[in-house]
Amino acid sequence: MAYTPQYGPGQSVVAENRRKQMNPNVKLEKIRNVTDEDIVLILGHRAPGQAYPTAHPPLAEQGEPDCPIRKIVTPTDGAKAGDRVRYIQFADSVYNAPSQPYQRTYTEAYRYRGIDPGTLSGRQIVECRERDLEKISADLVNTNLFDPATTGIRGATVHGHSLRLAEDGMMFDMLQRCVLEGGTVKYVKDQIGTPLDKKVEIGKPMDAAWLKANTTMFHTLVGTSYRSDAEYIEYIQRIHSLRTKYGFMPVE
Amino acid sequence: MAKIERAQKLFLKALKTKFEGDVADTKTGYYNFGDLKQSARKKEFIEASKKAELRRGLSMYDPYRCHLGGLPMGQRQLMTYEVSGTGTFVEGDDLHFVNNPAMQQMWDDIRRTIIVNMDLAHSTLQKRLGKEITPETINEYLHILNHAMPGGAVVQEHMVETHPSVVDDCYVKVFTGDSELADQLEKQFVLDVNKLFPAKQAEQLNAAVGKSLWQAIHIPTIVSRTCDGGTTSRWSAMQIGMSFITAYRMCAGEAAVADLSFAAKHAGVIQMANHLPARRARGPNEPGGIMFGHFSDMIQGNRKYPNDPAKASLEVVGAGCMLFDQIWLGSYMSGGVGFTQYATAAYTDNILDEFTYYGMDYIKDKYKVDWKACTPNDKVKPTQEVVNDIAGEVTLNAMEQYEQFPTMMEDHFGGSQRAGVIAAASGLSVGIATANSNAGLNGWYLSMLMHKEGWSRLGFFGYDLQDQCGSTNSLSVRPDEGCIGEYRGPNYPNYAMNVGHQGEYAAIVGSSHYTRNDGFCLSPMIKITFADPSLPFDFAEPRKEFAKGAIREFVACGERTLLMPAR
Repeated sequence: MAYTPQYGPGQSVVAENRRKQMNPNVKLEKIRNVTDEDIVLILGHRAPGQAYPTAHPPLAEQGEPDCPIRKIVTPTDGAKAGDRVRYIQFADSVYNAPSQPYQRTYTEAYRYRGIDPGTLSGRQIVECRERDLEKISADLVNTNLFDPATTGIRGATVHGHSLRLAEDGMMFDMLQRCVLEGGTVKYVKDQIGTPLDKKVEIGKPMDAAWLKANTTMFHTLVGTSYRSDAEYIEYIQRIHSLRTKYGFMPVE
Repeated sequence: MAKIERAQKLFLKALKTKFEGDVADTKTGYYNFGDLKQSARKKEFIEASKKAELRRGLSMYDPYRCHLGGLPMGQRQLMTYEVSGTGTFVEGDDLHFVNNPAMQQMWDDIRRTIIVNMDLAHSTLQKRLGKEITPETINEYLHILNHAMPGGAVVQEHMVETHPSVVDDCYVKVFTGDSELADQLEKQFVLDVNKLFPAKQAEQLNAAVGKSLWQAIHIPTIVSRTCDGGTTSRWSAMQIGMSFITAYRMCAGEAAVADLSFAAKHAGVIQMANHLPARRARGPNEPGGIMFGHFSDMIQGNRKYPNDPAKASLEVVGAGCMLFDQIWLGSYMSGGVGFTQYATAAYTDNILDEFTYYGMDYIKDKYKVDWKACTPNDKVKPTQEVVNDIAGEVTLNAMEQYEQFPTMMEDHFGGSQRAGVIAAASGLSVGIATANSNAGLNGWYLSMLMHKEGWSRLGFFGYDLQDQCGSTNSLSVRPDEGCIGEYRGPNYPNYAMNVGHQGEYAAIVGSSHYTRNDGFCLSPMIKITFADPSLPFDFAEPRKEFAKGAIREFVACGERTLLMPAR
């Protein structure tokens, strides 16, 4: 019997949003159109148009050993070319940002190949080969996984996910990498904080109703109560109980 | 699980003092606080650094140049903190152990302590050498030992000695469960269990110690600072040996001295901490080797507040976070400076206190546990269902409080801070309801899983390692897989690298005993030794002591000002 992923329990809108983001059979909703060049500027790893720096020669040229695993696993484009491994890192506000750290990691793991996500409380990083990263980043920024005001692209000094929002609705960023101008969010620094030569527009902040309807985090004050999703809590307690029992005595 | 009403919010005073405006607002202003200059302490740092630079001719603290290439801290409000349970507001910097002499003294007082049995030595003296042991000879020996332990010579001519003013924190007292013997010893030397402890605790302690006689020894702070924890047993054993030689007129080189040395260095010794394996490379009496049961015996909140196991446990949290997070993991193991920011969350602003007392209300309301009575009789059987219910409800309540008060979420701005605090309240509530430390730990791990799934975040990477496999080892006691909570410690597998856990684990262990009004958790000797009112640090009130240190009112030992020119 083939395994069918369930993508998590729960009957709330939060649970449903989580499943939709994770499930690769559900198309992510394209909301904005930040260009490839602008994505490259925000990432800050190379200049637009610059050749990809490499960490090793292209696989076709470096004489790969006869290896059964290499025959099974098709390399990504970036791996084939020998690209460096680079990153994009997000800070997601607790005030209904559409994606959240573990949710990002699960979503990326289901949807993309050749990635190395890392999950913390205030940030989530995904690393992969540079040309693969740029494609993935375009997805992560241009779709319903992203909100210009409550999602930050931050390489370092990520502080802000748990702070109150600023009066203009923007998540706090001590480096103020992006600013709200004329109703549109513009990046004035790349993700690591280096000033950009031109401002990069990433669109208007989503409104409160959209955020509440699309977030993947429970929150009693601004969103959906965790307690109200009894199935979700029951499921976690079941997992915990089973782990406890089988750690104590791993027999039926 | 069902939410219960609790009107009192212990954290509100702190939030209202720290933040301007409505503490429940979700929006505020930023980038206009005048950066570092909003903090008196940071300004002091800058001035102090200027003076140091002039003196030494080298650059030093320079945040306007060095922090983020010229962008200093303080783009948001730099908060003060109320040390929980004290009403004292302090600057965060003053809770770093480098800036806080009370914190240093707490650790000094543990590291420089050794407990040595006297019965073995007395047996050697009586049976092997035919010496008479009487209360009078013991008193004489203790006089000599309190001369020798700080560094006074007792046998040889023309010896160097230590200056009493720099070692006046060094002394030896004794304790026994034999009231008759205790009454015959000079009061100045005796830790009187019956006076120091509530009656039921004293009864248990006296019964556990029995007729044995033990020495509670504190070598000079300055010695353990200059050397290490492994020095403590050696320093004490040397002075014990010399004092026995003098007190009982022994030959300095006779073979029986070896028996006394063996008793004082090995056979009759209780170290405060076990030595660590080579990969962590520390001797005995260093923080990584302290078992959680022993640590919750060192902290004396339950002796002073026998009817408030929550408060007694919260004192362990504060002391444990300071020692295990700030000093052990923060400096010994990692070398970082920032661990203080994680650790202080558990003992500031009464946030963990509020979550824990919610748990107390819950176990009283639902399970009829009269937690203030502290009796074994009304404890709940620790079934999985009970653990899930109590820890689940305490976790949900805590998460909802963070959500309802955005300033509190901002106060605990890191997920690791929140995770430790929420799980601690859950574990303590289960521990106090069930009187079972492993059930308490199991409640901790359920809390972590619920927290992670609710908010889709937890702590830093380390939380993945420790908290997502913790359910599985919390009730296993097979070697290398688990252990009862009392015998776990900072070097327990999986516990060895993660800030925000070890102080709380120790408190969970303690809570399961405090709730029964037990005299001790793991060692009656350690419990009695740290009840000593002569210790510079008051182990019954660690949070109050930290606050005193932060506002520069705590007087520590081991100072060298007598020996050098004033600056």
